[in-house]
Amino acid sequence: MSTVATATAGEAQVHAGHDDRSFIRKYIFSTDHKVIGIQFLFMSLFFLVLGGLLAMGMRWQLAFPSDPAHPLPGGSLLPETMVNAGIVLPEFYNSMVTMHGTIMIFFAIMPLLVGVYANYLIPLQIGAPDMAFPRLNMASFWLAVPAAILILAGFFVEGGHAGAGWTSYPPLSVESGYSGVYNGQVLWTLSIIILGFSSLMGAVNYITTVVNMRAPGMTWFRLPLATWALFITAILILLAVPVLTGALILLLFDQVLGTAFYKPDAGGQPLLWQHLFWFFGHPEVYILILPAMGFVSEIIANGSRKPVFGYKAMVIAMISISFLGWIVWGHHMFQSGMNPLLGASFMASTMVIAVPSAIKTFNWLGTMWRGDIHFHTPMLNAMAFVGMFVIGGLSGVFLASTPVDVQLHDTYFVVAHIHYVLFGGSLFAIFAAITFWFPKMFGRMMNETLGKVHFALTFVFFNLVFFPMHRLGSNGMMRRISDPTQYEHLQAFQPTNRMISMWAFALFAAQLIFAFNFFWSLFRGKKAGPNPWRANTLEWSTPSPPPHGNFATTPVVYRGPYEYSSPESDEDYLPQDRPPAERPTPAPEPVPAGG
Amino acid sequence: MSQAATLALESRQPMPGIGVYNQKFGMWVFLLSEVMFFTGLIGSYIILRFAHPDAFTEPGRVLNVPLTAANTFILIVSSVTMVKAFASIELGDQRGLRRWLLATVLLGAVFLSIQGVEYVKLAEHGFVPMVASYAAEGAPLYGMTFYTLTGFHGAHVTIGVLCMIFVTVKAFRGRYSQADHGGVEVMGLYWHFVDLVWIILFTIVYLI
Amino acid sequence: MEQAEHKQPPYMVVFGALGLLTLIEVGVAFVGLPRIQTIVVLLVLAVWKALLVALYYMHLRFEPRRLWFVVASPLPLAAILVLGVLAEGW
Repeated sequence: MSTVATATAGEAQVHAGHDDRSFIRKYIFSTDHKVIGIQFLFMSLFFLVLGGLLAMGMRWQLAFPSDPAHPLPGGSLLPETMVNAGIVLPEFYNSMVTMHGTIMIFFAIMPLLVGVYANYLIPLQIGAPDMAFPRLNMASFWLAVPAAILILAGFFVEGGHAGAGWTSYPPLSVESGYSGVYNGQVLWTLSIIILGFSSLMGAVNYITTVVNMRAPGMTWFRLPLATWALFITAILILLAVPVLTGALILLLFDQVLGTAFYKPDAGGQPLLWQHLFWFFGHPEVYILILPAMGFVSEIIANGSRKPVFGYKAMVIAMISISFLGWIVWGHHMFQSGMNPLLGASFMASTMVIAVPSAIKTFNWLGTMWRGDIHFHTPMLNAMAFVGMFVIGGLSGVFLASTPVDVQLHDTYFVVAHIHYVLFGGSLFAIFAAITFWFPKMFGRMMNETLGKVHFALTFVFFNLVFFPMHRLGSNGMMRRISDPTQYEHLQAFQPTNRMISMWAFALFAAQLIFAFNFFWSLFRGKKAGPNPWRANTLEWSTPSPPPHGNFATTPVVYRGPYEYSSPESDEDYLPQDRPPAERPTPAPEPVPAGG
Repeated sequence: MSQAATLALESRQPMPGIGVYNQKFGMWVFLLSEVMFFTGLIGSYIILRFAHPDAFTEPGRVLNVPLTAANTFILIVSSVTMVKAFASIELGDQRGLRRWLLATVLLGAVFLSIQGVEYVKLAEHGFVPMVASYAAEGAPLYGMTFYTLTGFHGAHVTIGVLCMIFVTVKAFRGRYSQADHGGVEVMGLYWHFVDLVWIILFTIVYLI
Repeated sequence: MEQAEHKQPPYMVVFGALGLLTLIEVGVAFVGLPRIQTIVVLLVLAVWKALLVALYYMHLRFEPRRLWFVVASPLPLAAILVLGVLAEGW
């Protein structure tokens, strides 16, 4: 802790041309925020695929529950304790469910939204040479790596991986006698604890950087909405993750030290876990959606060649969502036997939180209204976000109503809701973001045709998979069950389940197009200039990819980020750092006689 | 001046930011996360005690309150020595900086030692966190919450002492000056925070 | 680096106050007031000591007001967490 950094952005150090750092310092143990962002990108894409594979395993089982005529593909490679004679054992199904959720939420979506884009975009969009604490940033990635190793290790230990759901409720997650899992559960707990530290370090960095290192002229209300969203998300991470860490530590102690924080027979309180977990868990879902909203705002404005409708309202809406998000957590616990008055207050606050989300939706529509819309791949994915997020939000309103939740809690209605917001929402936004910022990251464009095909297939299959789940859930299909046919009232829905699985396999297959596009374009994509999307924010004023240090001279910001189709510009965009043209001062108004 | 030139001139002002340098702001931001962490633990303690008041005893029945009160005082004194170290280097007094930093390290170590001694004595009386081997007064809940709360605080103090040694060594090497001593200030913030948490913890765990 | 334009804060006076408050706390704990009163008084004293440390030793009193808002931000959340968890008991 030696050099005292000043509060201003300072002059950038650009090492373009003669960067004499070793390969290891440049690409492995790098303190450059861009490299770290790309490291997170590759790590999270791997986990996205793994999470998808787990979902495929689940869907196979649900399509052919315990059916020897349809053995799980690849099941013969797995030990008999997981898959016996091609049949998925219930304990293994529980692990698949648990690890699908855990990996998607903690190792795919969160790192993709925050680890990648907070790292990559923030310094570029605010005009800074790097993050406030570059070495802490490097530590943040390299701490995520052991967490990733631990979570993978759980698949290989005796007893299999954690099987108590991604929410890991005790006593199930504590008593191996109930779940049959011990080592896997402990590894799960340890991994998330370590990942929490990684997230916290990142949050400290993002907050300090946005507050203190904005370039001259970059006032708060000239910040791009992507940066605003990532900044607010960082605050949520900062204050929510420590509560989860505390809860996980207590869980770990119960698992390995023989304490009884959550064990009821020794005086512990399982509900304590639920409160602590969901106090984190609800801000967590806003962590999973806010950055996506930020990216969508950028891309829709760009694709519509229009300013974002109601920029200030968008900011205030995001702030409101982040405030309200702290007082709704009980809606995950409506069926826990809480005092009905308490339940009612959580219901009220949950309903209210729909309002700022709706404001944002109308503003996205307002942005597109009468715009000169370019339906490029990022734009298509961003538009899908808006539609799918609305559907997910609407199903959320049903769940928010306490009496209705009695019927819907822990059913596939919830599964539909979460996938409409997390896949229909966050993941489409991620596809949009990856495609949009790919040229900046790698200097090449992704293939537009492949992008459109991938989008179309994903959009159609996604809806075919998840929309029927609303009906399944409201008709009583429970979550996390490995064999629905054991319940008489669900047997009639088996054709629906099978159909969903077929579409799910198609959905997964369609992702191969994206994967191919991504990797092929890394090497053979059309070379990109600094600003292929004709956008306004500061990152598009740098080369593609930007050099170490980002800007040759510190940019000066003259205007907001969404001056598309501005009368001040000859083109339909006007970068934030383009100096204003000299115009003669208008002649003063003639003063009326007698005035 | 033309509109454009005015706009250009105004835009060139550096952004005010939060008004303190990055490292200090970063430490404050980190400490906010620590507030949430300890709140989670303290909240757990409160709810577990609320649910089973019979499992917890009055102050003094099991825990050695006078000894810990003295230990609290020692930690407060270490905050004073820390702040005097900072005050010294603000005036450019290198000898004062080194003296007071050394004192802080020693007092921090004393605090930990006394706490360690207290743990050993309690364990000898059977007051341990594990359910299975619990023998002393007050059901398992008391032991596990006590050790978790004070243990995590102690872990934070330990990390603080280790960092403080690092800062002290740097001070002895003359690496801080009147113009550049952010490292001392930031270390001080962490140390005072650890003291502050103890003030709350001591009250809740030992006195209430 | 922010300037130390103010006089040095009264560190030793604050120290005296902290010591005194600690003694009072221990006294209150043992004097045996009714339960609720004991808890309230002890918490008030603890918070008072914590504020003294934060405002003077951690220098908050002399920092820009923007920093105060930042630092105060988790406090309502902490209160909500504790109250929410306690609400189970009712």
